[in-house]
Amino acid sequence: MSRESFLSRVRQAAQAGRAFRVHLQPVPPDVGYVGANGDLCDKMAEEVDAVGGRAFRVPDLLAARELLVTLLEEASAKSALCWEHDLLTRLGLVEFLQSRGIVRHSYESLSKLEFPSQRQSMLACDIGISSVDCAIAETGTLMVCSRPGQERVASLLPPMHVAIVERQQIVPDLIDAFAILHQRGLENLPSNTTLITGPSKTGDIELQLTTGVHGPKHWRVILVG
Amino acid sequence: MPKTDYIRETHHEFLDASADALANQGLQQILGRLGDSLGKKNREAWEQLPNSDLVRERARTIKDETLAELDKHLETLERSVLARGGKVYFADDGEEACRQVIDIIQAKGAKKVVKSKSMTTEEIHLNHALEVLGIETVETDLGEYIIQLAGHRPSHIVGPALHLSAKEVAEILSMPAGETLPVEREVLAGFARKQLRMNFAQADVGISGVNFAVAETGTIVLISNEGNARLTTALPKTHIAIMGMEKVIPKLADLPYFLKVLARAATGQKLSVYTSLITGARHEGELDGAEEFHLIILDNGRSKILGSPLRESLFCIRCGACLNACPIYRSVGGHAYGGVYAGPIGAVLTPLYDGLAANKHLPHASSLCGACQAACPVKIQIPEMLIQLREQMHHEPALKSPLESLAYRMWAITLRRPWMYRLGSWLASRTLGWWKQNDRWLKRLPGKLHGWTQKRDFPAPAPTRFRDWWDKEGKQS
Ligand code: SF4
Repeated sequence: MSRESFLSRVRQAAQAGRAFRVHLQPVPPDVGYVGANGDLCDKMAEEVDAVGGRAFRVPDLLAARELLVTLLEEASAKSALCWEHDLLTRLGLVEFLQSRGIVRHSYESLSKLEFPSQRQSMLACDIGISSVDCAIAETGTLMVCSRPGQERVASLLPPMHVAIVERQQIVPDLIDAFAILHQRGLENLPSNTTLITGPSKTGDIELQLTTGVHGPKHWRVILVG
Repeated sequence: MPKTDYIRETHHEFLDASADALANQGLQQILGRLGDSLGKKNREAWEQLPNSDLVRERARTIKDETLAELDKHLETLERSVLARGGKVYFADDGEEACRQVIDIIQAKGAKKVVKSKSMTTEEIHLNHALEVLGIETVETDLGEYIIQLAGHRPSHIVGPALHLSAKEVAEILSMPAGETLPVEREVLAGFARKQLRMNFAQADVGISGVNFAVAETGTIVLISNEGNARLTTALPKTHIAIMGMEKVIPKLADLPYFLKVLARAATGQKLSVYTSLITGARHEGELDGAEEFHLIILDNGRSKILGSPLRESLFCIRCGACLNACPIYRSVGGHAYGGVYAGPIGAVLTPLYDGLAANKHLPHASSLCGACQAACPVKIQIPEMLIQLREQMHHEPALKSPLESLAYRMWAITLRRPWMYRLGSWLASRTLGWWKQNDRWLKRLPGKLHGWTQKRDFPAPAPTRFRDWWDKEGKQS
């Protein structure tokens, strides 16, 4: 069996290799933690802008909804791919989109579609609206976990992704975000957890920055509170 | 027209290829940018990580400890992936890995495959193996897509199409476009996006590499700036991930430290745009993500390295920083190295994977300045390893030059006998020294020795030896 011979070969090699372990320096446990230094919302907004997104500070959900009007116009959105999320419910997203005549591809409607047409509808959306599992101030990062109703494609397929984030969802450092995954229990890890830091980018043509090559070109983060 | 037959599967001799590269104006211009813009961004990103050296040390420690018990971590990884409903395959070499991939694809009856960038699949020449069987395979990383169309091999671990100018990219993309595309980056990227979206929509299988694999959870981590790795794993029904076995890390809590150093080293970002943690197939009720997850764990010569003094090369997280830092890479570019992996780490890995005899110039393709080691996020002692390889070459009978051995033997004999050394230096100063007393440089040495003077002059011996000068004048002052 290939598996057994593979592993026993690795075992022997790992053992032999111990003779060549490198010299290591002891590292204090808190090394690597950076944190935000100051107000989390301020830092988050600053970093989102720095990585090529646009952050908006609003005092409450009402103001967030008003801001959404501008973003929908900017995206010339006719159809939206949205998460189902407590924050978006409180925002009244469903009614809001309806009142503006925007087709919302809900989880329910999408799951009724057969495979090719389901994919086509997802691919055709103009804007993706989601919240986050948490946001990381130090780097301006959004952590999104996949669940039924919180699809990974919402932050991926449309040319514009808008994330709505409340102050209490922001943590200072990447290490805090991983602590959240640990608290929820490793056996409960979602099938996909993605850390998003900026609009889709490439430097593949002459090392010059070009945005929106696969994922969203426009990355907007609305910070509430 | 500069030489561009960088065919994916063929080998290039370092000396010829580097001479070509040096004469290639366009390439030289692009390589010049590596140091300027990228170097500055890297430095700024590192500055914002306090104690960055210790963070690198932590990453290094994790790699070292993991490799010491690699077999156990691989078994844990296997168990975790199986527990989440995935399948695990062990592949001794590239051929076996390709076969495993092909078996999965054929069992699904799949016709079309999308791939996100993976150096490991380059290493095993997977695309070739699939195409021979008529399985359409589309690279989706913009750089990979471009070089796939052009039939080139990657010239940089992170930026595979680095060697091409925007004009050349426009020419290459104009082929599938069926019209002449303008030399504008946004337009070119936009065209690629449209083409590749079509492929994503139709593909049955997505193939990815693995940046890290977390043993305790069975999670594989994929990092990209474009988002193609996300599309590759979100849309097709089947996901096959291929990893070099050294990619495993024990715990999820280890991951953030690697993420913090990887992007800084690679592109001067604090984090790459997308980092995806994929744990098994999609869950019941989810509308995206693959329905099947297959993980192939590849040896392909790694176990030989693991048990050797060059084991440290397995720490590499493929960030490309050593390439950007290297004065040789920045002069000759990636293709000159002749293998899949270029730059300083390529100069170590290619001889290890493909044999020293076929790559005898690579361990010498370095000034040993140490810039690579200083740039490396896991602090791999690359110069140290290049010296070891040079030493190994010395013991390889196939690589021994009788003339060189003879020269060194004579040298040793001379050095051991002071009178011979004195006589030799006297002779040299009376002949070459007197002959060249005005311009002091030898432009061309005879015979085999010309190898030295081909690229630089050789200093002529002084007309007066130091010892003679000392006896006459030095002592008195
Ligand atoms: S050797 Fe170090 S610097 Fe070079 S690619 Fe690997 S991790 Fe990066």
